[in-house]
Amino acid sequence: MTNRVNRRHFLQGAAALGAAGTFAPFSSVAFERDGNRKILVFTGNQAVPVLDPHWRYDWSTRMIQQSVYDGLLKYVGTPPKIIPWLAEKYEMSPDGKTYTFTLVGNAKFHNGDPVDAEAVRYSFERALKMNAGVAWMLKAFLKPENIVAVDARTVKFTLDRPYAPFITYVPWWYIVNPKQVKANEVDGDLGKKWMTEHEAGSGPFKLRRFDATSLIHMDTVPDYWNGWPMGEKNRLSGFIYRIIRESAPRKAALQRREVDVMAGVTPDDFQQMEKVPGVKMVNFPGFTSFGIKFNCQVGPTADVNVRKAIAYAFDYDAVLAIHNGMAELMTSPFPTPITGHVAVPDMPRRDMAKAKEYLKKSKYPDGGFELEYVHVQGLEDPRRIGLSLLDALRQLDIKVNIVAQPWPTMTARAGKAETAPAMMSVYVTPVGTDPDTVAYQYHRNSWGLYYGVSHYENPAVWQLIADARGETDTAKRMAMYAEIQKALVADQPEIFCMMANRIWGMRDYVRDFAYSPVRSTSEIDPYPLWIEA
Amino acid sequence: MLTYILRRIGLAGLMLFGLVCLTFVIANIAPSDPAALAAGPDAGRSQIENLRREYGLDRPLHEQFVRYVTDLVQLEFGRSVATGRAVGTDLARYFPATLELCLVAMAIGLLFGVPLGIVSALHKDGPIDHVTRIFAVSGVALPPFWFGLLLQLAFAAWLGWLPTSGRLSVFTEPMEPITGLLLVDSLLAGNGSLFLEAASYIALPALVLSFPCLAQILRVNRSEMVEALRADYIVAARAHGVRQRRIVVVHALKNAMLPTLAIIGLRWGWMMSSTVLVETVFDWPGTGLYAVSSAIAGDFKPVMGVTLIVGLNFMIANLIVDLLYGVLDPRLRSA
Repeated sequence: MTNRVNRRHFLQGAAALGAAGTFAPFSSVAFERDGNRKILVFTGNQAVPVLDPHWRYDWSTRMIQQSVYDGLLKYVGTPPKIIPWLAEKYEMSPDGKTYTFTLVGNAKFHNGDPVDAEAVRYSFERALKMNAGVAWMLKAFLKPENIVAVDARTVKFTLDRPYAPFITYVPWWYIVNPKQVKANEVDGDLGKKWMTEHEAGSGPFKLRRFDATSLIHMDTVPDYWNGWPMGEKNRLSGFIYRIIRESAPRKAALQRREVDVMAGVTPDDFQQMEKVPGVKMVNFPGFTSFGIKFNCQVGPTADVNVRKAIAYAFDYDAVLAIHNGMAELMTSPFPTPITGHVAVPDMPRRDMAKAKEYLKKSKYPDGGFELEYVHVQGLEDPRRIGLSLLDALRQLDIKVNIVAQPWPTMTARAGKAETAPAMMSVYVTPVGTDPDTVAYQYHRNSWGLYYGVSHYENPAVWQLIADARGETDTAKRMAMYAEIQKALVADQPEIFCMMANRIWGMRDYVRDFAYSPVRSTSEIDPYPLWIEA
Repeated sequence: MLTYILRRIGLAGLMLFGLVCLTFVIANIAPSDPAALAAGPDAGRSQIENLRREYGLDRPLHEQFVRYVTDLVQLEFGRSVATGRAVGTDLARYFPATLELCLVAMAIGLLFGVPLGIVSALHKDGPIDHVTRIFAVSGVALPPFWFGLLLQLAFAAWLGWLPTSGRLSVFTEPMEPITGLLLVDSLLAGNGSLFLEAASYIALPALVLSFPCLAQILRVNRSEMVEALRADYIVAARAHGVRQRRIVVVHALKNAMLPTLAIIGLRWGWMMSSTVLVETVFDWPGTGLYAVSSAIAGDFKPVMGVTLIVGLNFMIANLIVDLLYGVLDPRLRSA
């Protein structure tokens, strides 16, 4: 578009305006075509503040990162499987400390540079040095100098000590092009500033437009090194992530075909939208656990019998009803798709006799105290669950004070046992399928983080969690996790509640929507998607 | 006159400093940990500490304040913890969108508020007056986000006449900004279709934003007109056989406009702050949306930046109104 303005241009504009007279009704678009290819529009409520894969991730950010970057391995399907991606294979040494990856030979970055072992080494080193985003996953076990590019296609990682979850984190470590990053470095910032809004990847999509608060437009890479599953003929022209923050306009946009896929659908929306012609609603068993975490250090909930009493008084069926049945109760502290999940036999379910029995054993046999229940301001489900808790605990003469707070306040309160509320409702999405991801939340080292708000204390369990991380014998390791799950249920640091289903709405011409629970909340994988119409 | 202007500017500066102090205190007594939020849900302590150091959040509060004020004096708004971007650059990017929205809303408010006020005054206690009264009361009473959602439902979802949200279609490549106001830029570039597209996107949010302003202008203008039309000089003008149209537009309106002008000054400031709600509902990429998304992330430099911009707008608008008083009312010129 030219910036030169002259009188004639101005008059033309004014004339066009006059000619049009009134607003022509803006007809909705099914799918914009770019040449003879289609563009798919996805909408969600969350912005993508930073594109840099080594700086930050959340569901919306990672959806874009996953599209423009590749990892050595990739998570697909349900139950989640890890498949080779940039690495065609890997080997673990018997002592569990060394992992050797062999790269595919044909992968190229978007600017044509080959994806070689040095790029992999540099990317992991960069992430570790930046000490943000994904760094926490491997930082305690991997030193930058222990990553070696053996030859162009071989990279060797030597861990400080065995760390069984290693492989389950690798898919989230994306490979960047060192040449592009270095060329855009300012004052040794590892390209941080540039990478905020630019990409240096090898993924199936190239960045076309990045507007952090409103939309991200990506083009498909025609000769993507790993090919396109829907075939060249059906390959999209591109993928647009459009940010619509409120759910009503989001629904309207899907109804009007302004967008093709929509995230952030509530169970109530589901039933309402299902009736809209041309709209298909999908829902899958979730991976995000909802729990009500007790303060195990301060106040009445420091007493395990009080915690047990509450867990038995809680109305689990009400939770399912709140979600219109689109949820699954937890059968263990671990979400079902986690490796090593076992259904713990005496998982508490509503049983008032038992609840009263436990309360009798506590320091408060007749109740008569008040507990604070904190949930995220603006979230309807946790508020309603709070109400059902209030109702349930009335029978034990325990009062519940339901408090809505902004998430920043909640994380700040989680910092210390003294400020942590008696009960805090929290959603936690495990980052990988390894049991350590969930178990470690209950370790001493997680105290003060939002998922460690319960300040749970049991040195024997802590030891078991720490030992299980380094155990290389899988059978032995899984036995340890079975024991951890049972111990956690016995100690009841929280009400292990439920996993809500994940719901999306889409137009009926969208094909090959692939769900994998290990992706975060509303995150999807745009790679296999296409439009048939 | 010059000393008056200078005094007003000096006063505005002082008020701005007060605003800085206030926002800084509010931002910091709110129990929140911006570093922990920016580091992400799974971050460990070392990562959070890392960020805290990088952004100087580990320093004592008074030291942070002195640094913030020194930066502000050099027109530096600091950096966002969540994105690392300079707040000043972000404000420059988002402000034109908000300005455009407010200008259009104000134009709607004036174009409808003033004439409707006149008509209501002329038909005092008649049916037209009652209708505009109901209209005005609902304008002040309707919460903007709710009204916005309602309009979206009606005009976008049901009728399909206007788009739901955003500033342009996602498929439209944005043009290089000239003024940053899309309506003006598209006209300057002679791009009529882009102008229409931009107009269709701005229509609903501007309408929602203008509604309370329109209502207040209408009511104030009406009551002032009623007063003015009763004044002796109007009776005298009538006795002299001056035409009704001239009496209303020239003699009465000019005198009724003074309080209306004051309302415009105040409303401009309120409007700037209501963008927080309206922009969120319509995903209008302006400073209001920027403030909301930053506040959710506990990222306070952007919130403070937006607050300052809104405050500054309040002051400038009122300064202009004060000066315009002099133009409309010669008696105030020497004062």
